[in-house]
Amino acid sequence: MSKIIELTTPLSEEAISQLKVGDVVTITGYIYTGRDAVLPKIVKAAEEGTLDQLGIDLQGSVIFHTAVSPAGVGPTSSNKVEIECTFEPLSKHGVKMHLGKGAISKETVKALAENNAVFAIIPPVTALLGSQTVEQEIVAFPELGMEAFNRLKVVKYQAIIAAAKGESIYD
Amino acid sequence: MTNIREKVADCLVRAGSTFREDQKEAYRKAIADEANAQSCWVMQQVLDNAIVAEERRSPLCDDTGIPHLFLEVGKNRSVSGEMMQEIMEGVELGLRQLPGRPMAIMGDDNARIDQSGGLNPDSGALKPSPILIKPIDEDVIRLTILMLGGGPAIRGITQRIFHKHNVDVVIEEIVNRATPAVSQLGCSPCVLAVGIGRSQFEATSLMMEAMVYGDFSKQTEFEKKITEKVNEANIGPLGLGGKHSVLATFAKVGPQRASGVRIVALRPCCCFEPRRASVDL
Repeated sequence: MSKIIELTTPLSEEAISQLKVGDVVTITGYIYTGRDAVLPKIVKAAEEGTLDQLGIDLQGSVIFHTAVSPAGVGPTSSNKVEIECTFEPLSKHGVKMHLGKGAISKETVKALAENNAVFAIIPPVTALLGSQTVEQEIVAFPELGMEAFNRLKVVKYQAIIAAAKGESIYD
Repeated sequence: MTNIREKVADCLVRAGSTFREDQKEAYRKAIADEANAQSCWVMQQVLDNAIVAEERRSPLCDDTGIPHLFLEVGKNRSVSGEMMQEIMEGVELGLRQLPGRPMAIMGDDNARIDQSGGLNPDSGALKPSPILIKPIDEDVIRLTILMLGGGPAIRGITQRIFHKHNVDVVIEEIVNRATPAVSQLGCSPCVLAVGIGRSQFEATSLMMEAMVYGDFSKQTEFEKKITEKVNEANIGPLGLGGKHSVLATFAKVGPQRASGVRIVALRPCCCFEPRRASVDL
């Protein structure tokens, strides 16, 4: 295992461009959470230009595919249709890292590369992630309950880069 | 608050937050034996998570699972309706203490199927599965709680195998079913839980029993063969490759029918399962 790369949000274009498949990274700073119920709504808001009204800034952001419940957080499968279809439009609107689990399609891997964005896998280690989460708040769509769009402040979440520069760890 | 309620609540919290020593040792051995650095990283994360969860008595996974209850009753003991009620109340209390992820779907039959009735925000509203009761020789009433997550339930298979009077045929078919299931599960390394019986109900009950009694340090030749053959697929933890896709197989073979068919229940348990704890009541 090579050295762990420390990343702080918001992520710069340069930091992302240096990542390659198999790199282990730590993520520190504010990140967003969302899964199949809310992410299509975020895409719609981005395309309608209403993200500001919702208090969302996607530039250099990380989106973690998880619910936020009293039990904590943990990745859901990123290859669910309503999640994976948001990779490309959200990357175009500034998301630099999609954080979840599972293999994604070749088309999505290509779309990430075209937008200098990456997909990272995070193990489902809820207790560990709970000890590394210092703040959490609902940002938008609170009516979705644990599937609302949340912002977390995290310290050194560990993840592995699974898709970058047109390559996938599952190839 | 009765003693039974408190004991059951504590048992549920332990089931959802604690790795047993044989489970920790299985991870340590796999990490030491694995050449794939990415797989080692995943397994170390899972082990670190278990240590933090135990210290904080907090959930191992955000899918905290559905409580499944297994009650062993000694021949000189009796179980009353009142005790059963207290067990249910203990489960409810434990789900709130863990806390369990709110997962109780509200509404009538149709609303519960299509999830249109909404979600009860109370962790304690989640109902456990029916209790499985087994008579034993020990002078004890022992409850084991298993917390069973959704991912393995999606990939589990209960189906017949025509054995052709050869146990290797059954092993081969289990491996053929388990390999894609482990690959699709995502949250590996797995434990394969297997029950072999005469009906779908019996096979599934035996699979439950396998999860209740399974020990990573005690593997039969039948179990070892299944583990080794699935590991030949090189799926690895989280599908990242490596030789530890499966850490162990827990199998229970029950009485069999005079017939060419065996009913096999298979569950690819996730990297935290079987999440279980027991308490004497």
